[in-house]
Amino acid sequence: MLRRLPEWAVTWPKLTVALAVALTMAFAAWLPGMRTDTDPKNMLPVNSDVRVFNRQVEQWFGLHEDMIVVGIVRDGGLFDRAALEAVGRLTDRIVRLPGVVAADVTSVTTADNVVAEAGTLSVQPLLPAIPVTARDVEAFRRAVMDNPMVVDRLVSADGRATAIYVPLERGANGKEVADRIRTLVGEERGDLRFYVAGDPVARDTFGSEMFRQMALFAPMAGLLMLIALYAMFRNLALAFTIVGVAMMATVWSMGLLVAIGQPVHIMSSMMPVFLMAIATDSIHIFNEFYFRLREVTDRRRAVLDTIDTVGAPVRYTALATAAGFGVLVIGGIVPVRVFGLFTAFGTLVIRLMSFSFIPAVMMLVGEDRLRRASRHESMDAGASRSLAWLGRLSVSRPRAVVASGVVLLVVALVGLPKIRINNNMVRWFRPASEVRVADAVINERLGGSSLLYVVASGQGEDALKDPAALHYVEALQRDLDQEDVVGKTTSVVDLVKRVNRVMLDDRPEQERIPDSRAAIGQYLFLFGMAAKPATLNTLITGSAERANLWVQLKTWDAGVVEQVLNRSQAYQRAHPPPGLRFEPAGIAYFNLVWNREVLRDMIWTFLAALAVVLVILTVSFRSWRWGLVSFVPLGLTILLIYGALGYVGKDLDMPVSVLSALSLGMAVDFAIHFIRRYRQRLADDPDTGRALLWTVARPGKGIVRNAVLFSLAFAVMLFSSLTPYITVGAFIMAMMMLSAFFTLFYLPALIVLVARRDRTAEHHPARAR
Amino acid sequence: MRVRLALLFIAVVLIWAAPSGGPRRLLAQTSIGADEIVGRVQQAFYAPGKDMKARVTMTLISAGGDKRLRDLTMLRRNGTGGEQQYFIYFHQPGDVRGMTFLVLKYPRRDDDRWLFMPALNLVRRLAARDSAQSFVGSDFTYEHVSGRDLESDRHTLRGEEQRRGKACYVVESQAQSAAEYSRKVAWIDKATWLPVEEEYYDVRGELFKVFTADEVRDIGGHPTIARRTMKNVKTGHRTEVVFADVAYDVGIEADVFSERYLREPPRRWIQ
Repeated sequence: MLRRLPEWAVTWPKLTVALAVALTMAFAAWLPGMRTDTDPKNMLPVNSDVRVFNRQVEQWFGLHEDMIVVGIVRDGGLFDRAALEAVGRLTDRIVRLPGVVAADVTSVTTADNVVAEAGTLSVQPLLPAIPVTARDVEAFRRAVMDNPMVVDRLVSADGRATAIYVPLERGANGKEVADRIRTLVGEERGDLRFYVAGDPVARDTFGSEMFRQMALFAPMAGLLMLIALYAMFRNLALAFTIVGVAMMATVWSMGLLVAIGQPVHIMSSMMPVFLMAIATDSIHIFNEFYFRLREVTDRRRAVLDTIDTVGAPVRYTALATAAGFGVLVIGGIVPVRVFGLFTAFGTLVIRLMSFSFIPAVMMLVGEDRLRRASRHESMDAGASRSLAWLGRLSVSRPRAVVASGVVLLVVALVGLPKIRINNNMVRWFRPASEVRVADAVINERLGGSSLLYVVASGQGEDALKDPAALHYVEALQRDLDQEDVVGKTTSVVDLVKRVNRVMLDDRPEQERIPDSRAAIGQYLFLFGMAAKPATLNTLITGSAERANLWVQLKTWDAGVVEQVLNRSQAYQRAHPPPGLRFEPAGIAYFNLVWNREVLRDMIWTFLAALAVVLVILTVSFRSWRWGLVSFVPLGLTILLIYGALGYVGKDLDMPVSVLSALSLGMAVDFAIHFIRRYRQRLADDPDTGRALLWTVARPGKGIVRNAVLFSLAFAVMLFSSLTPYITVGAFIMAMMMLSAFFTLFYLPALIVLVARRDRTAEHHPARAR
Repeated sequence: MRVRLALLFIAVVLIWAAPSGGPRRLLAQTSIGADEIVGRVQQAFYAPGKDMKARVTMTLISAGGDKRLRDLTMLRRNGTGGEQQYFIYFHQPGDVRGMTFLVLKYPRRDDDRWLFMPALNLVRRLAARDSAQSFVGSDFTYEHVSGRDLESDRHTLRGEEQRRGKACYVVESQAQSAAEYSRKVAWIDKATWLPVEEEYYDVRGELFKVFTADEVRDIGGHPTIARRTMKNVKTGHRTEVVFADVAYDVGIEADVFSERYLREPPRRWIQ
């Protein structure tokens, strides 16, 4: 049917265009029902093991999934009436914000503190009332600095920084709450500096920024492409056609996605830019059409001849691209699967348009103008001339050229093992961004914004009231404290020691675990009688079967979380715990698993995509050898880019891994075009060298045009405020330019060498067998 | 004393109503005021009889269904001028058995609280600054157990309606001094002056706790809430309380409420 389609379109061009527009409108009708999901957490389904266990831990200890940390810094020190008033005022106002768990907001004005005053034991807010006199302020300073549960968690050791911990209700948007807190902070006057940080701020800011920037970049990419296309073809109608095809494909896939009830996740939000880039493959049709138009007088003939010649490679590149995206479906990450499936669908829509809408438009555009524009198209001028020079070099010195490729390969292979796999969401923002600065300040001054839980489970009720169990938890805690990245650890042990000291006349040497189980039980009961229930519950369950060790980390590096967990395991191996089991949880642990799962999935789909592409190449050429040869430019490009990643020392993080898997299907196009067209040419002109030079100069020009356009579509990402977009933009631009260059430079040399071997084999038929 | 309190309330109501003119004054004279209702509730809820003893079991139930038990004997004696004394002896959980707790309550002043810890054989005085403090880790606060000063809230009568099968006054109380709530709405049974249900709203005006009186029994002429529940609707945690073996006017001696008895609980009253 696909063979008849262009003829049909050329015969009824107006009807074809009308039909395409009508169908697009039909798909567009779904769009108003669009739902968006800006939460990157949803890359792992709600019922994934880590999320289920985290929810369990949250239930055990009355914790909240997400927490914002507000850092407050005063260079002159916080022990100042106006400063403390500001902290109290801000706490009161934050408590009233929607999305905040009012009861569990923790700051110096709300946190429970156990103190002894003139023989009276008191559990009260650290700062029950704003001190008036200098003596009151000094008393407060002493109370804070004397309490190990407070220093570094709520107030920095130098007394210049304090934190307000703001837990969020389930489903609340961290960016929205952070924005409201920033508004409140903006109304504060005085010499305090405020910093809003924490995982939900970074995550939700990233999610919403991604949508915002995509809404900005897709039209910008379209506009840039339009200008470039006009410069190449000097015909506005044709330039609009390619961009129009991309837009139609976007509407079709997005419409279908909405129609089946899927939300648009951050992954699918990138679809327009990808489809825009994929649509540039149609350029080969225009490229050939302009050459044909100079050779054939009948326009209808020129269109059909063009489709006839370019049709096969375009079909296979479409197949390879669609397969490259389609492979994502085998992965385990649902938003990536949805993205893969619908981008593959969009790719097929683009191909459908290439054989119907594009030929129809070619028939409708004013013929005079087309012919005038195509007059610039010549194999002896401009880009084609430089390309011819490149081709001659490759064909005349094939061994040297291939040797240079081998050198590049070795350089890449040396760089590969240097790659560091890591993920740090805060580093997805530029260094000067508010999110990153806030995080850096809080991590430098206080215990850290990244929270890891190590849950200790004993055997049966009251297991954690056993002095031996508490001594073990304390020892593990002290061991983890050794790690530089661990800023602060807090557990029920700190509480028990504190109560013990306060009960026993506030003697500092009594800051220790009591020897009897009954005393521990009674201390915990006493604390539960006197404090907010939440304070105790976040550290130990009511049954005392489990305790929660809070580990605050000074970085969001997934690798660091792993390092801390390894240390915990090593300690347990060296010192077997007394009937206790330790399991990690919390947002820092989620980030580790999230990173690991997505990365593993991506590496796996990346390899699968490579295999599928190789199979498609082989099938396309009906030869393993041609399949392998055509694979060389893509393979070398990928190895070189990853090798460079290793040399530069940039982390292979989640966005890079996701997007490299995506771009595979697109980068193989050039080799398919090259080899297909070369073999077609060979049928007319049996001289290898001449056929190669022709291929480099004529379809080669299309390849260069395609690469340039493709790069332009992604170049806009370089101006993003999100570093993964910058990385991806640079990554895909490099991929396109390199694979285009390698196709035009290495393929001719390789083909010459292969052809020579074939000839030698013909001379020695016995050896060949 | 009840007469004196009632007179006081009528006076308060009159003074409050006086400046606002004819029709309202008439209304104030003919129908009951919110402050009077709350005064009566406090009497019926927290101070019936000269003294009281009860075996109280509190079941703390987490959102996940985990249960924790608090089993205690509570002795209460009414003093003069609105003063009250509470003596609490813990039977369970096991590791706090023998722990005793003494609260001396004064109107318009912080309570005095003492605690005896058998593991250390030590009596310690506890400060009572935070009125929103949980009572033994339950969803009830100390104020739920022993009452809150009338003038700590501004009370408004919102109307009358049927609630849980009882004819009720609906009274709204806005916190005027530190409290765990910013606003409370109570349905007061007209017949017993006991709350049938209460809703607590937080600083954002969102409902977070609900109190229900699940069973009311008449004991020695005093309607008594034998079973009650406080549920935190935000966390899903709730506490169910059963008052058993309730007896009024049993003649508990004043000196029971002293440090000596903290260390050696009065066997006569605690089985």
